[in-house]
Amino acid sequence: MNHPTVLSSRIRLARNYEDLPFDARQPGVSETVISRTANALALSGEDKGFRLLTVASLDAAQRSALAESHLISKDLLNSPDGAVLLREEDAVSVMMAEEDHLRIQAITPGLSLDESARRCFQVEDALSRNVRFAFDPQLGYLTSFPTDTGTGMRASLLMHLPMLAHHKQMGSVAQIAAKVGLTARGFYGEGSEALGDVFLVSNQVTLGRTEAEIIATVTALGEQLTGMEHDLRDHALREQRLATEDRVGRAWGILTHARLLPLREFYSLWSSLRLGALLGLIPVSLDRLDRLPVEAQEGHLRGGADPLPEGESLDAARSRRIRALLKAS
Amino acid sequence: MLCEECNTNEAKFAVTMNINGETCLRHLCPDCMRAMNASLQGGNVAGMLSAILSAITSRNGATPRSSGVKQPQEPIPDITCPKCGTTFASFRKTGRLGCPGCYEAFRKELQPMLQQIHGRVQHAGRRPLESEEAQRTRSRQEELTRLMQQAVLLEDFETAALLRDQIHALATEGGAEA
Repeated sequence: MNHPTVLSSRIRLARNYEDLPFDARQPGVSETVISRTANALALSGEDKGFRLLTVASLDAAQRSALAESHLISKDLLNSPDGAVLLREEDAVSVMMAEEDHLRIQAITPGLSLDESARRCFQVEDALSRNVRFAFDPQLGYLTSFPTDTGTGMRASLLMHLPMLAHHKQMGSVAQIAAKVGLTARGFYGEGSEALGDVFLVSNQVTLGRTEAEIIATVTALGEQLTGMEHDLRDHALREQRLATEDRVGRAWGILTHARLLPLREFYSLWSSLRLGALLGLIPVSLDRLDRLPVEAQEGHLRGGADPLPEGESLDAARSRRIRALLKAS
Repeated sequence: MLCEECNTNEAKFAVTMNINGETCLRHLCPDCMRAMNASLQGGNVAGMLSAILSAITSRNGATPRSSGVKQPQEPIPDITCPKCGTTFASFRKTGRLGCPGCYEAFRKELQPMLQQIHGRVQHAGRRPLESEEAQRTRSRQEELTRLMQQAVLLEDFETAALLRDQIHALATEGGAEA
Protein backbone atom coordinates (compact mmCIF):
# COMPACT_ATOMS: atom_id res chain seq x y z
CA MET A 1 0.00 0.00 0.00
CA ASN A 2 1.60 3.26 -1.08
CA HIS A 3 1.63 6.17 1.33
CA PRO A 4 0.18 9.43 -0.01
CA THR A 5 3.17 11.49 1.06
CA VAL A 6 6.03 9.30 2.29
CA LEU A 7 7.58 7.52 -0.70
CA SER A 8 9.98 5.46 1.40
CA SER A 9 11.73 5.14 4.74
CA ARG A 10 15.43 4.50 5.05
CA ILE A 11 17.77 3.63 7.91
CA ARG A 12 21.52 3.71 7.45
CA LEU A 13 23.99 2.58 10.11
CA ALA A 14 27.69 3.50 9.96
CA ARG A 15 30.00 0.88 11.48
CA ASN A 16 33.78 0.47 11.47
CA TYR A 17 36.27 -2.19 12.44
CA GLU A 18 38.31 -1.16 15.45
CA ASP A 19 41.69 -2.34 14.13
CA LEU A 20 41.64 -0.73 10.66
CA PRO A 21 42.16 2.83 9.43
CA PHE A 22 38.95 4.51 8.16
CA ASP A 23 40.40 5.33 4.76
CA ALA A 24 39.65 2.32 2.54
CA ARG A 25 42.12 3.54 -0.09
CA GLN A 26 45.01 2.60 2.19
CA PRO A 27 46.63 -0.68 1.11
CA GLY A 28 44.77 -3.81 2.16
CA VAL A 29 41.91 -2.04 3.96
CA SER A 30 39.09 -2.57 1.49
CA GLU A 31 40.08 -6.21 0.87
CA THR A 32 40.08 -6.89 4.63
CA VAL A 33 36.76 -5.10 5.16
CA ILE A 34 35.06 -7.01 2.34
CA SER A 35 36.34 -10.48 3.20
CA ARG A 36 35.80 -10.03 6.93
CA THR A 37 32.23 -8.80 6.47
CA ALA A 38 31.25 -11.45 3.94
CA ASN A 39 32.72 -14.18 6.18
CA ALA A 40 31.04 -12.85 9.31
CA LEU A 41 27.67 -12.79 7.59
CA ALA A 42 28.15 -16.31 6.22
CA LEU A 43 29.24 -17.62 9.65
CA SER A 44 26.14 -16.15 11.28
CA GLY A 45 23.93 -18.09 8.89
CA GLU A 46 22.01 -14.89 8.06
CA ASP A 47 23.50 -14.51 4.59
CA LYS A 48 20.52 -16.03 2.78
CA GLY A 49 19.51 -13.92 -0.21
CA PHE A 50 22.62 -11.69 -0.15
CA ARG A 51 24.78 -11.26 -3.26
CA LEU A 52 28.29 -9.83 -3.14
CA LEU A 53 28.91 -7.24 -5.87
CA THR A 54 32.16 -5.34 -6.24
CA VAL A 55 32.01 -1.83 -7.70
CA ALA A 56 34.75 -2.78 -10.16
CA SER A 57 32.72 -5.69 -11.56
CA LEU A 58 29.70 -3.53 -12.46
CA ASP A 59 29.38 -1.65 -15.74
CA ALA A 60 28.38 2.02 -15.82
CA ALA A 61 24.66 1.38 -16.42
CA GLN A 62 24.47 -1.23 -13.64
CA ARG A 63 26.18 1.14 -11.19
CA SER A 64 23.86 4.01 -12.04
CA ALA A 65 20.81 1.78 -11.86
CA LEU A 66 21.73 0.60 -8.35
CA ALA A 67 22.34 4.17 -7.21
CA GLU A 68 19.10 5.41 -8.83
CA SER A 69 17.19 2.70 -6.95
CA HIS A 70 18.99 3.99 -3.82
CA LEU A 71 20.26 0.47 -3.10
CA ILE A 72 23.80 1.85 -2.99
CA SER A 73 25.04 5.38 -2.29
CA LYS A 74 26.70 7.66 -4.81
CA ASP A 75 29.69 7.73 -2.43
CA LEU A 76 30.15 4.00 -2.90
CA LEU A 77 30.39 4.50 -6.66
CA ASN A 78 33.34 6.78 -5.98
CA SER A 79 35.16 3.96 -4.15
CA PRO A 80 36.62 1.78 -6.92
CA ASP A 81 37.67 -0.76 -4.26
CA GLY A 82 34.22 -0.80 -2.67
CA ALA A 83 31.63 -3.56 -2.69
CA VAL A 84 28.11 -4.25 -1.51
CA LEU A 85 26.32 -7.21 0.00
CA LEU A 86 22.88 -6.79 -1.47
CA ARG A 87 19.60 -8.48 -0.59
CA GLU A 88 17.43 -7.08 -3.35
CA GLU A 89 14.15 -8.75 -2.33
CA ASP A 90 13.72 -6.42 0.64
CA ALA A 91 16.20 -3.65 -0.26
CA VAL A 92 18.81 -4.39 2.40
CA SER A 93 22.42 -3.54 1.58
CA VAL A 94 25.73 -3.59 3.37
CA MET A 95 28.00 -1.13 1.60
CA MET A 96 31.68 -1.73 2.20
CA ALA A 97 34.72 0.56 1.95
CA GLU A 98 32.60 3.70 1.55
CA GLU A 99 33.26 6.71 3.84
CA ASP A 100 32.97 4.24 6.70
CA HIS A 101 33.95 0.58 6.57
CA LEU A 102 30.29 -0.42 6.59
CA ARG A 103 27.03 1.31 5.85
CA ILE A 104 24.18 -1.06 6.66
CA GLN A 105 21.03 0.18 4.95
CA ALA A 106 17.39 -0.84 4.63
CA ILE A 107 14.66 0.85 2.62
CA THR A 108 11.01 0.13 3.28
CA PRO A 109 7.91 1.57 1.59
CA GLY A 110 5.83 4.35 3.16
CA LEU A 111 6.28 5.58 6.70
CA SER A 112 7.97 2.56 8.27
CA LEU A 113 11.26 3.53 9.92
CA ASP A 114 10.72 0.94 12.66
CA GLU A 115 10.68 -1.81 10.06
CA SER A 116 13.74 -0.52 8.20
CA ALA A 117 15.56 -0.24 11.53
CA ARG A 118 14.61 -3.79 12.48
CA ARG A 119 16.11 -5.10 9.23
CA CYS A 120 19.35 -3.14 9.76
CA PHE A 121 19.75 -4.24 13.36
CA GLN A 122 19.19 -7.86 12.38
CA VAL A 123 22.13 -7.67 9.98
CA GLU A 124 24.22 -5.72 12.47
CA ASP A 125 23.54 -8.25 15.23
CA ALA A 126 24.43 -11.13 12.89
CA LEU A 127 27.75 -9.47 12.01
CA SER A 128 28.66 -8.51 15.55
CA ARG A 129 28.57 -12.15 16.65
CA ASN A 130 31.74 -12.63 14.64
CA VAL A 131 33.46 -9.26 14.37
CA ARG A 132 34.16 -6.32 16.67
CA PHE A 133 32.97 -2.83 15.74
CA ALA A 134 34.77 0.28 16.98
CA PHE A 135 32.77 1.39 20.03
CA ASP A 136 33.45 3.71 22.93
CA PRO A 137 31.22 3.72 26.04
CA GLN A 138 31.08 7.53 26.01
CA LEU A 139 31.03 8.27 22.28
CA GLY A 140 29.19 5.20 21.00
CA TYR A 141 30.01 3.80 17.56
CA LEU A 142 33.11 5.54 16.18
CA THR A 143 32.85 6.82 12.62
CA SER A 144 35.22 8.44 10.18
CA PHE A 145 33.39 11.80 10.51
CA PRO A 146 32.44 13.05 13.99
CA THR A 147 29.07 14.10 12.54
CA ASP A 148 27.96 10.42 12.54
CA THR A 149 29.40 9.30 15.87
CA GLY A 150 27.16 7.79 18.56
CA THR A 151 24.36 5.74 17.07
CA GLY A 152 25.96 6.10 13.62
CA MET A 153 22.37 6.14 12.43
CA ARG A 154 20.59 8.23 9.80
CA ALA A 155 16.83 7.82 9.66
CA SER A 156 15.36 9.40 6.52
CA LEU A 157 11.98 9.81 4.92
CA LEU A 158 11.65 10.49 1.21
CA MET A 159 8.59 12.73 0.95
CA HIS A 160 6.50 14.11 -1.91
CA LEU A 161 5.25 17.52 -0.80
CA PRO A 162 3.81 19.31 -3.84
CA MET A 163 1.41 21.56 -1.95
CA LEU A 164 3.88 22.69 0.72
CA ALA A 165 6.36 23.44 -2.08
CA HIS A 166 3.66 25.24 -4.09
CA HIS A 167 2.90 27.48 -1.11
CA LYS A 168 6.64 28.07 -0.57
CA GLN A 169 6.56 26.60 2.91
CA MET A 170 9.64 24.36 2.69
CA GLY A 171 12.00 27.10 3.96
CA SER A 172 10.05 27.31 7.21
CA VAL A 173 9.81 23.54 7.38
CA ALA A 174 13.62 23.29 7.16
CA GLN A 175 13.93 25.91 9.88
CA ILE A 176 11.59 24.06 12.23
CA ALA A 177 13.31 20.76 11.45
CA ALA A 178 16.72 22.25 12.37
CA LYS A 179 15.38 23.20 15.81
CA VAL A 180 14.76 19.56 16.66
CA GLY A 181 18.03 18.23 15.21
CA LEU A 182 16.55 17.28 11.81
CA THR A 183 17.06 18.48 8.26
CA ALA A 184 14.64 18.75 5.33
CA ARG A 185 16.12 19.32 1.89
CA GLY A 186 15.45 18.75 -1.80
CA PHE A 187 16.33 15.24 -2.93
CA TYR A 188 16.58 15.43 -6.73
CA GLY A 189 18.61 18.12 -8.49
CA GLU A 190 21.66 20.22 -7.72
CA GLY A 191 22.26 22.36 -4.62
CA SER A 192 19.06 23.63 -3.05
CA GLU A 193 16.77 22.41 -5.85
CA ALA A 194 13.88 20.09 -5.08
CA LEU A 195 12.87 18.65 -8.44
CA GLY A 196 9.54 16.85 -8.36
CA ASP A 197 8.83 18.43 -4.94
CA VAL A 198 10.60 15.45 -3.39
CA PHE A 199 12.29 16.13 -0.06
CA LEU A 200 14.49 14.11 2.25
CA VAL A 201 13.75 14.52 5.95
CA SER A 202 16.41 13.07 8.23
CA ASN A 203 18.14 13.38 11.58
CA GLN A 204 21.29 15.41 11.87
CA VAL A 205 22.11 14.59 15.47
CA THR A 206 23.46 11.08 16.08
CA LEU A 207 25.01 11.29 19.56
CA GLY A 208 23.19 11.42 22.89
CA ARG A 209 19.80 10.13 21.67
CA THR A 210 18.66 6.54 21.46
CA GLU A 211 17.79 5.06 18.09
CA ALA A 212 14.13 4.89 19.17
CA GLU A 213 14.14 8.60 20.07
CA ILE A 214 15.66 9.54 16.71
CA ILE A 215 13.13 7.40 14.82
CA ALA A 216 10.25 8.85 16.83
CA THR A 217 11.36 12.43 16.08
CA VAL A 218 11.75 11.84 12.34
CA THR A 219 8.44 9.95 12.22
CA ALA A 220 6.68 12.76 14.09
CA LEU A 221 7.87 15.34 11.57
CA GLY A 222 6.87 13.00 8.74
CA GLU A 223 3.35 12.72 10.18
CA GLN A 224 3.08 16.46 10.70
CA LEU A 225 4.08 17.20 7.11
CA THR A 226 1.70 14.52 5.84
CA GLY A 227 -1.15 16.21 7.73
CA MET A 228 -0.25 19.68 6.44
CA GLU A 229 0.05 18.40 2.88
CA HIS A 230 -3.32 16.67 3.18
CA ASP A 231 -5.05 19.85 4.40
CA LEU A 232 -3.52 21.93 1.60
CA ARG A 233 -4.61 19.33 -0.97
CA ASP A 234 -8.18 19.47 0.31
CA HIS A 235 -8.06 23.22 0.17
CA ALA A 236 -6.81 23.19 -3.43
CA LEU A 237 -9.65 20.93 -4.49
CA ARG A 238 -12.25 23.05 -2.70
CA GLU A 239 -11.01 26.53 -3.49
CA GLN A 240 -8.91 26.16 -6.66
CA ARG A 241 -10.47 23.17 -8.36
CA LEU A 242 -10.23 24.45 -11.92
CA ALA A 243 -6.60 25.55 -11.64
CA THR A 244 -5.69 22.25 -9.98
CA GLU A 245 -7.49 20.18 -12.62
CA ASP A 246 -5.77 22.24 -15.30
CA ARG A 247 -2.33 21.60 -13.80
CA VAL A 248 -2.97 17.86 -13.55
CA GLY A 249 -4.55 17.63 -17.00
CA ARG A 250 -1.66 19.42 -18.67
CA ALA A 251 0.84 17.12 -16.95
CA TRP A 252 -1.11 14.07 -18.09
CA GLY A 253 -1.29 15.40 -21.65
CA ILE A 254 2.41 16.05 -21.96
CA LEU A 255 3.58 12.88 -20.22
CA THR A 256 1.35 10.68 -22.40
CA HIS A 257 2.08 12.47 -25.70
CA ALA A 258 5.52 14.11 -25.60
CA ARG A 259 8.24 12.57 -27.77
CA LEU A 260 11.20 14.29 -26.08
CA LEU A 261 11.16 14.51 -22.30
CA PRO A 262 14.05 16.19 -20.45
CA LEU A 263 14.57 14.94 -16.88
CA ARG A 264 13.87 18.28 -15.20
CA GLU A 265 10.56 18.67 -17.03
CA PHE A 266 9.66 15.09 -16.25
CA TYR A 267 10.07 15.64 -12.48
CA SER A 268 7.85 18.68 -12.49
CA LEU A 269 5.09 16.97 -14.51
CA TRP A 270 5.35 13.80 -12.47
CA SER A 271 4.74 15.82 -9.30
CA SER A 272 1.54 17.32 -10.77
CA LEU A 273 0.40 13.92 -11.96
CA ARG A 274 0.94 12.33 -8.57
CA LEU A 275 -0.99 15.18 -6.98
CA GLY A 276 -3.80 14.49 -9.44
CA ALA A 277 -3.84 10.80 -8.51
CA LEU A 278 -4.06 11.68 -4.80
CA LEU A 279 -6.98 13.99 -5.50
CA GLY A 280 -8.74 11.31 -7.53
CA LEU A 281 -8.52 13.40 -10.70
CA ILE A 282 -6.73 10.75 -12.79
CA PRO A 283 -7.08 6.98 -12.64
CA VAL A 284 -3.43 6.00 -12.23
CA SER A 285 -2.29 3.97 -9.23
CA LEU A 286 0.34 5.40 -6.89
CA ASP A 287 2.15 2.10 -7.16
CA ARG A 288 2.75 2.78 -10.85
CA LEU A 289 3.46 6.49 -10.43
CA ASP A 290 6.01 5.93 -7.69
CA ARG A 291 8.12 3.81 -10.01
CA LEU A 292 8.47 6.59 -12.58
CA PRO A 293 11.15 8.80 -10.94
CA VAL A 294 13.51 5.81 -10.81
CA GLU A 295 12.60 4.51 -14.29
CA ALA A 296 13.16 7.96 -15.85
CA GLN A 297 16.84 8.10 -14.91
CA GLU A 298 19.78 7.40 -17.14
CA GLY A 299 21.00 4.10 -15.70
CA HIS A 300 17.51 2.60 -15.91
CA LEU A 301 17.00 3.89 -19.45
CA ARG A 302 20.35 2.52 -20.62
CA GLY A 303 20.11 -0.88 -18.94
CA GLY A 304 17.36 -3.26 -17.95
CA ALA A 305 14.94 -5.28 -20.04
CA ASP A 306 14.33 -2.53 -22.61
CA PRO A 307 17.73 -0.92 -23.27
CA LEU A 308 18.29 2.28 -25.20
CA PRO A 309 18.57 1.61 -28.96
CA GLU A 310 21.71 2.93 -30.64
CA GLY A 311 21.34 6.57 -31.66
CA GLU A 312 18.25 7.30 -29.55
CA SER A 313 18.62 10.28 -27.22
CA LEU A 314 17.92 9.95 -23.49
CA ASP A 315 15.04 12.42 -23.74
CA ALA A 316 13.43 10.33 -26.48
CA ALA A 317 13.98 7.08 -24.57
CA ARG A 318 12.55 8.67 -21.42
CA SER A 319 9.36 9.81 -23.14
CA ARG A 320 8.95 6.32 -24.62
CA ARG A 321 9.46 4.59 -21.27
CA ILE A 322 7.10 6.93 -19.43
CA ARG A 323 4.39 6.63 -22.11
CA ALA A 324 4.58 2.84 -21.92
CA LEU A 325 4.38 2.83 -18.11
CA LEU A 326 1.41 5.19 -18.08
CA LYS A 327 -0.42 3.42 -20.88
CA ALA A 328 -0.32 0.13 -19.02
CA SER A 329 -2.31 1.64 -16.15
CA MET B 1 27.92 16.01 5.58
CA LEU B 2 25.67 19.04 5.65
CA CYS B 3 26.75 22.62 4.99
CA GLU B 4 27.81 24.24 8.25
CA GLU B 5 26.21 27.51 7.26
CA CYS B 6 22.69 26.68 6.13
CA ASN B 7 22.51 23.17 7.66
CA THR B 8 20.26 22.29 4.77
CA ASN B 9 22.28 21.33 1.71
CA GLU B 10 25.01 18.77 1.31
CA ALA B 11 28.46 20.34 1.82
CA LYS B 12 30.53 20.03 -1.35
CA PHE B 13 33.45 22.29 -0.43
CA ALA B 14 35.92 22.25 2.42
CA VAL B 15 37.36 25.72 2.86
CA THR B 16 40.24 26.65 5.11
CA MET B 17 39.93 30.23 6.27
CA ASN B 18 42.46 32.37 7.97
CA ILE B 19 40.77 35.07 9.96
CA ASN B 20 42.88 37.34 12.16
CA GLY B 21 45.66 34.77 12.20
CA GLU B 22 43.41 31.88 13.22
CA THR B 23 42.79 29.00 10.88
CA CYS B 24 39.47 27.24 10.74
CA LEU B 25 37.89 24.68 8.45
CA ARG B 26 34.39 25.15 7.10
CA HIS B 27 32.23 22.74 5.06
CA LEU B 28 29.96 24.62 2.69
CA CYS B 29 27.32 23.87 0.08
CA PRO B 30 27.51 25.41 -3.42
CA ASP B 31 25.00 28.15 -2.49
CA CYS B 32 26.87 29.36 0.57
CA MET B 33 30.16 28.96 -1.29
CA ARG B 34 28.83 31.31 -3.97
CA ALA B 35 27.77 33.81 -1.33
CA MET B 36 31.28 33.64 0.11
CA ASN B 37 32.99 34.00 -3.25
CA ALA B 38 30.89 37.05 -4.12
CA SER B 39 32.09 38.67 -0.95
CA LEU B 40 35.69 37.54 -1.45
CA GLN B 41 35.90 39.16 -4.84
CA GLY B 42 35.39 42.45 -3.06
CA GLY B 43 38.51 41.56 -1.05
CA ASN B 44 36.65 41.92 2.21
CA VAL B 45 37.44 38.92 4.37
CA ALA B 46 35.94 40.30 7.55
CA GLY B 47 32.67 41.02 5.75
CA MET B 48 32.70 37.56 4.23
CA LEU B 49 31.17 35.62 7.10
CA SER B 50 28.53 38.20 7.76
CA ALA B 51 27.67 38.13 4.04
CA ILE B 52 27.14 34.36 4.19
CA LEU B 53 25.08 34.66 7.33
CA SER B 54 22.88 37.45 6.08
CA ALA B 55 22.43 35.69 2.72
CA ILE B 56 21.16 32.63 4.54
CA THR B 57 19.08 34.49 7.07
CA SER B 58 17.35 36.47 4.35
CA ARG B 59 16.89 33.42 2.15
CA ASN B 60 15.07 31.10 4.47
CA GLY B 61 14.88 32.92 7.74
CA ALA B 62 17.16 30.37 9.40
CA THR B 63 19.08 31.47 12.42
CA PRO B 64 22.70 30.50 11.87
CA ARG B 65 24.06 28.43 14.67
CA SER B 66 26.55 30.20 16.88
CA SER B 67 29.01 27.43 16.06
CA GLY B 68 28.99 28.74 12.50
CA VAL B 69 31.11 31.74 13.32
CA LYS B 70 32.97 30.52 16.37
CA GLN B 71 36.70 30.81 15.97
CA PRO B 72 39.22 28.50 17.61
CA GLN B 73 40.30 30.09 20.88
CA GLU B 74 43.69 28.44 21.08
CA PRO B 75 46.39 27.43 18.63
CA ILE B 76 45.83 23.97 17.15
CA PRO B 77 47.39 21.42 19.53
CA ASP B 78 50.27 19.37 18.17
CA ILE B 79 48.95 15.83 18.75
CA THR B 80 49.41 12.70 16.66
CA CYS B 81 47.33 9.52 16.87
CA PRO B 82 49.78 6.77 17.94
CA LYS B 83 47.80 4.15 16.02
CA CYS B 84 47.56 5.67 12.54
CA GLY B 85 49.81 8.75 12.60
CA THR B 86 47.00 11.22 11.80
CA THR B 87 47.72 14.64 13.30
CA PHE B 88 45.04 16.79 14.87
CA ALA B 89 46.00 19.53 12.42
CA SER B 90 45.25 17.28 9.43
CA PHE B 91 41.90 16.30 10.96
CA ARG B 92 41.07 19.99 11.28
CA LYS B 93 41.85 20.41 7.62
CA THR B 94 39.82 17.47 6.27
CA GLY B 95 37.19 16.93 8.97
CA ARG B 96 37.90 13.21 8.76
CA LEU B 97 39.59 11.10 11.42
CA GLY B 98 42.23 8.50 10.56
CA CYS B 99 41.14 5.50 12.61
CA PRO B 100 39.01 4.63 15.66
CA GLY B 101 42.13 5.25 17.80
CA CYS B 102 42.00 8.95 16.87
CA TYR B 103 38.94 9.35 19.13
CA GLU B 104 41.10 8.31 22.10
CA ALA B 105 44.13 10.37 21.03
CA PHE B 106 42.07 13.54 20.43
CA ARG B 107 39.40 12.89 23.06
CA LYS B 108 39.83 16.19 24.90
CA GLU B 109 39.97 18.25 21.71
CA LEU B 110 36.97 16.49 20.13
CA GLN B 111 34.61 17.09 23.07
CA PRO B 112 33.73 20.74 22.29
CA MET B 113 33.30 19.88 18.61
CA LEU B 114 30.96 16.97 19.35
CA GLN B 115 29.08 19.17 21.79
CA GLN B 116 28.58 21.73 19.02
CA ILE B 117 27.43 19.18 16.46
CA HIS B 118 25.19 17.01 18.62
CA GLY B 119 24.45 19.10 21.70
CA ARG B 120 25.38 16.12 23.90
CA VAL B 121 28.52 14.05 24.37
CA GLN B 122 27.26 10.91 26.11
CA HIS B 123 26.13 8.03 23.91
CA ALA B 124 22.63 6.81 24.74
CA GLY B 125 21.93 4.25 22.01
CA ARG B 126 22.65 0.62 21.33
CA ARG B 127 25.91 -1.10 22.14
CA PRO B 128 27.54 -4.18 20.62
CA LEU B 129 26.28 -7.47 21.99
CA GLU B 130 28.19 -10.55 20.97
CA SER B 131 26.09 -13.37 22.37
CA GLU B 132 23.14 -14.43 20.28
CA GLU B 133 21.03 -14.87 23.38
CA ALA B 134 21.63 -11.32 24.59
CA GLN B 135 20.80 -10.07 21.10
CA ARG B 136 17.57 -12.05 21.07
CA THR B 137 16.56 -10.60 24.44
CA ARG B 138 17.25 -7.10 23.15
CA SER B 139 15.22 -7.61 19.95
CA ARG B 140 12.37 -8.96 22.06
CA GLN B 141 12.58 -5.92 24.37
CA GLU B 142 12.60 -3.58 21.40
CA GLU B 143 9.58 -5.32 19.91
CA LEU B 144 7.66 -5.20 23.20
CA THR B 145 8.53 -1.54 23.67
CA ARG B 146 7.21 -0.77 20.21
CA LEU B 147 3.98 -2.63 20.91
CA MET B 148 3.66 -0.82 24.24
CA GLN B 149 4.04 2.57 22.56
CA GLN B 150 1.40 1.61 20.02
CA ALA B 151 -0.96 0.52 22.79
CA VAL B 152 -0.45 3.83 24.60
CA LEU B 153 -1.22 5.70 21.37
CA LEU B 154 -4.43 3.69 21.00
CA GLU B 155 -5.18 4.41 24.67
CA ASP B 156 -5.27 0.69 25.39
CA PHE B 157 -3.63 1.11 28.78
CA GLU B 158 -4.46 -2.39 29.96
CA THR B 159 -2.36 -3.96 27.19
CA ALA B 160 0.32 -1.31 27.69
CA ALA B 161 0.60 -2.22 31.38
CA LEU B 162 0.88 -5.94 30.55
CA LEU B 163 3.61 -5.20 28.01
CA ARG B 164 5.43 -2.98 30.49
CA ASP B 165 5.48 -5.87 32.99
CA GLN B 166 6.84 -8.20 30.32
CA ILE B 167 9.60 -5.73 29.42
CA HIS B 168 10.43 -5.37 33.09
CA ALA B 169 10.56 -9.14 33.57
CA LEU B 170 12.80 -9.51 30.55
CA ALA B 171 15.19 -6.86 31.90
CA THR B 172 15.41 -8.49 35.35
CA GLU B 173 15.94 -11.87 33.78
CA GLY B 174 18.74 -10.50 31.60
CA GLY B 175 20.25 -8.77 34.62
CA ALA B 176 20.21 -11.95 36.70
CA GLU B 177 21.95 -13.90 33.96
CA ALA B 178 24.61 -11.27 33.45
